[in-house]
Amino acid sequence: MKEGFRQSMAWLHTWVGLVFGWLLLAIFLTGTLAYFKDEISHWMQPEVPSRSVSNETSVILAQSYLQQHAQGVSRWFINLPDAREPVLSVMWQFPGKPGERGAFTQKLLDPATGAELQVRDTRGGEFFYRFHFQLQMPYPWGRWLSTAAAMLMFVALISGIIIHKKIFKDFFTFRPRKGQRSWLDGHNAVGVLVLPFHLMITYSSLVIFMSMVMPASILATYGEDSRALFNEAFPATSNAPAAGRSAPLVQLEPLLQQAREQWPGGRVGRITVNNPGDANASVNVMRHGGDQVVRDFGSAVSFDGVSGKLLQVAPPQSPIVAIRGGFYGLHMGLFAGPLLRWLYFICGLAATAMIGTGLVIWLGKRQLKHAKSGVTPFELRLVEVLNIASMSGLVLAVAAFFWANRLLPVSFAERADWEVNSFFIVWGLSLLHAALRRGRKAWVEQLGTAALLLASVPLLDALTVPDVLDGFLVHGDWVRAGFDLTCLAAGLFLAWAAWKMSRPAVYPSAAARSRRAVLETEVI
Amino acid sequence: MLLALLLCYPGFAGLCLSMDRHHAELLGYKPTARRRSGLRLGGWLLLAGSLWAAIAAAGWAFGLVQWCAALMLSALSLVLLLPYQPRLALLAAGLGLLVSPLAALAQ
Repeated sequence: MKEGFRQSMAWLHTWVGLVFGWLLLAIFLTGTLAYFKDEISHWMQPEVPSRSVSNETSVILAQSYLQQHAQGVSRWFINLPDAREPVLSVMWQFPGKPGERGAFTQKLLDPATGAELQVRDTRGGEFFYRFHFQLQMPYPWGRWLSTAAAMLMFVALISGIIIHKKIFKDFFTFRPRKGQRSWLDGHNAVGVLVLPFHLMITYSSLVIFMSMVMPASILATYGEDSRALFNEAFPATSNAPAAGRSAPLVQLEPLLQQAREQWPGGRVGRITVNNPGDANASVNVMRHGGDQVVRDFGSAVSFDGVSGKLLQVAPPQSPIVAIRGGFYGLHMGLFAGPLLRWLYFICGLAATAMIGTGLVIWLGKRQLKHAKSGVTPFELRLVEVLNIASMSGLVLAVAAFFWANRLLPVSFAERADWEVNSFFIVWGLSLLHAALRRGRKAWVEQLGTAALLLASVPLLDALTVPDVLDGFLVHGDWVRAGFDLTCLAAGLFLAWAAWKMSRPAVYPSAAARSRRAVLETEVI
Repeated sequence: MLLALLLCYPGFAGLCLSMDRHHAELLGYKPTARRRSGLRLGGWLLLAGSLWAAIAAAGWAFGLVQWCAALMLSALSLVLLLPYQPRLALLAAGLGLLVSPLAALAQ
């Protein structure tokens, strides 16, 4: 058993890629969708009007609403609308019993009128975002599993670079219509060309969950008290306990301008008010998360809640915290404008495609060996079923999630949960379907159904929310139009994929050629 | 960001053409040694120029991120276009070069 370094790396790449490929595919696809989290949420709550109003107007409306509806609570949170999320959201927290966190109440307001919006209950894009690292599992198991997957993704990336012999020679090489060869070309092309993204996204995910993955470095720097790191990363803004004497709260609106003066060119994202209506009230104005590449959670300006006097401006981050914030910011891409956001999305799709092509290659190579006998061993059949369910099944589940949003009645109890349930039910059914149908048929049927569902999303939108044209033409709701068109494009692409799958290989020599190619390939 | 993209894509096209195999596939003959090194130098210069364009337009933090995105997108679209529409792939590179001075003026 004398194996070279490269062979052992090839072994590692093959098996890590297979065992964690399905999970990673789901993590990457939902994570990619999460780049459009706000846009998806906006589509899933069509009751929210798309309007742009100044932050000042929104704050005045939010304050008067909260003063009417949330007296005597311990904290207010005001999330200002922005171009991506055109809704004004207010939240308040009731005083908790000692040692317990008080309950939260959230309301969505129309940023132009301050009226409470009656919107359908939905998780929206937040579902994909949460699933992407929590995997719908109880805390902390989902986070552990996705962190482990990220670590193995890193292993697969590094071993993939090592076993790729001709990175520069084959840099521009993609040979379509050559069976197995094309899959490997495609896998290499999306792997190498988008490598900066793959490395960034994988490494940054480990940095984000650093305290879970690499506690040693934190323990060494901050001692046993790992709170110290978090206090440094997320500074606790002045939070004096309530005095118990009532005093009128300052007008919040002028504080916005004062805060913005501290951040040249910056925007305000959130406002929190501690102990509103109390003599010890304080106001923290937080900077918008999309202002900088480096994420700074502590970028806040604090004011006295009664006099409106500026109390403190959060100091700039320490370099170590800024590095963490940099990886955090790059991973989330909150700073990205529309064009860059689309590039993030495309890179995410490329990463998903890399994982998918890898899984297809694993199976394709092994199936060729059994092509003559016509008998598929159980383990290959299992991989095939899981491949189908993890790729076409997942896309089908995403489509079902969008359809459920429009088909479940608005008044239906627990409809947000049922949207999520329909996602998982359809995903489960796709697994069952893949197990019952033969490989190629299962692919075609699932891809075809997903294509039909996604391509008809614009129609569904127009039928179930009648003001759709009005929304585009009068209010210029391009987010919703963009969502519909993207679904249509995805549907057309899937229809093309289903059509490709439905035709048996028409190149008689392709199989022979690819068999030779497999033998020639160093990477097995 | 636009100028960076317009420079990145022809840069990669130049580097691609500087390789014998791709040059022969796309243009039908093998390049001379001089042509090859010229294409390579031109390609690298264009990539460096796009880095400058991205940073000049958006500052270091945003510029570097945008440049990486432009690199990945232009390389990916070149590689996916080459086998299906080789002429269009080269035409796009030429157009990019032609339009880039306009974009530079606008920037």
